[in-house]
Amino acid sequence: MEATQATPVKYDMEVVRWFTIAAAIYAVVGTLIGVYIASELAFPFLNFDLPYITFGRLRPLHTNAVIFAFGGCVLMATGYYIAQRTGSTKLWSNGLAWFTFWGWNLIIVSAVVTLPLGLTTGKEYAELEWPIDIAIAVVWLAFGLNHIMTVAIRKTSHIYVSNWFTMGMIVMITYLHVVNSLAIPVSLTNSFSVFTGVQDAMVQWWWGHNAVGFYLTGGFLGIMYYFVPKQAQRPVFSYRLSVLHFWALTFGYVWLGAHHLQYTALPDWTGSLGAAVSLAMIIPSWGGAMNGMMTLSGAWDKLRTDYILRFLVVALAFYAMSTFEGPVMSIKSVNALSHYTDWTVGHVHSGALGWMAMVAYGAMYHMVKKLWGVEKMYSEGLVNVHFWLATIGTVVYVVAMWVSGIMQGLMWRDYDEYGTLTYTFVESVSAMHPYYTMRAIGGLIFHIGTLIALYNIVMTVSRAGATRSAGSVPAKA
Amino acid sequence: MTTNDWLGVFFALVSALGMVAVYFMVFRPANKSMFESQRSMALDDEDHIGEKR
Repeated sequence: MEATQATPVKYDMEVVRWFTIAAAIYAVVGTLIGVYIASELAFPFLNFDLPYITFGRLRPLHTNAVIFAFGGCVLMATGYYIAQRTGSTKLWSNGLAWFTFWGWNLIIVSAVVTLPLGLTTGKEYAELEWPIDIAIAVVWLAFGLNHIMTVAIRKTSHIYVSNWFTMGMIVMITYLHVVNSLAIPVSLTNSFSVFTGVQDAMVQWWWGHNAVGFYLTGGFLGIMYYFVPKQAQRPVFSYRLSVLHFWALTFGYVWLGAHHLQYTALPDWTGSLGAAVSLAMIIPSWGGAMNGMMTLSGAWDKLRTDYILRFLVVALAFYAMSTFEGPVMSIKSVNALSHYTDWTVGHVHSGALGWMAMVAYGAMYHMVKKLWGVEKMYSEGLVNVHFWLATIGTVVYVVAMWVSGIMQGLMWRDYDEYGTLTYTFVESVSAMHPYYTMRAIGGLIFHIGTLIALYNIVMTVSRAGATRSAGSVPAKA
Repeated sequence: MTTNDWLGVFFALVSALGMVAVYFMVFRPANKSMFESQRSMALDDEDHIGEKR
């Protein structure tokens, strides 16, 4: 039975507001750390011989800040927002939602303290030590339970596809995080993985690529399938394609991790399987990207004036590009050139900046206007400035890494007529300097965009508060 | 073939068959209207109490 709109529903949106503001702050902090460590690679004196701010310690802080602090807050904000709105119901437990907010933020603070101190498991994208891992599992399960139960108590008969993507992410990330983090503690701040050798590598990248697949892709596709139609005021181009998109990603992504381990001690067939399934995943990924873009059919003119829509559409373009580039890089002959080079770093950032951050900001701007009940942002012009800074910053970053990555790969495997390597490793490092500087500049441009976004959001919220205080808008909650 | 190998084969086949079943379900002409009737679901939700402060 569909919900009757005659019966107003009181949503629990205060926690969504807090998650949204937190996300805007974490984006600034996370990209600032990124710019600093990118500058350290170009100008090593910036280490200042302080162990706490060396690249090795700040890099995991950067990845944790942008993926789990910024990305996590966006995913929880939109997860709670979409589940309530598409289900015409309030949250199953508002108290549990607040537990996830404070718990998640406590975990982020723990990362800020432990990672610069060098307390790390050494597992990529899972560096936090075992007590924090347990806290992540508890808070994530609380988010999962609350989201799934909110969907369960919906007043609508159908579960909208965005919720499927979010629930798929919740189930898979729980499974992946728990298995990948299995460790034997030796003290409060040290532990050893239960996996060893090649099994440890396999489990690491089973987690690593599925974190990309289900968290940075699946979770954010849930955002895309809600906010693109909403912002464009057009129905989804093909709902059947969106269902197929979800199930194809869910069945396919779990097989891909081994493509990170081509030419290693892993059995050869596992890398080949990972590459084959990666190539097959181009079809649903591009189907989904086209589905999002074609949702704008008949409304392309909105891109001239709707700056928020620009974020969402450019995000889809980067999604399409990244989901083509990734499978190509997984092919063994390409991987022989690209692996261990900056090409991988460029690929990751075309996804993280171009896809994830862009779609996140599109959703955040949309939600801020709805959540604080304003017609426009404080400055629509600044949204446009942010859009161009984000786009240009991403392109500068990615192009720098493409050039440096391919150059690295070619220099490392070049040999002369006597079979001797043409270049020493340090010569390849020296050749990277211009591109590392260019990467830092690209990151800085993107970072300035996040600062403008934070300013615009804070001013929008402040002005909405001031207007409400003046009594011109009646408070409803 | 170890137990792990057999489990791997089992789950690979179940996943492949599951994917085939999803393709069949989604592209079956009789199901088209059922799916596409949800196209505008995101647009149908109205601003309710609690969303605006």
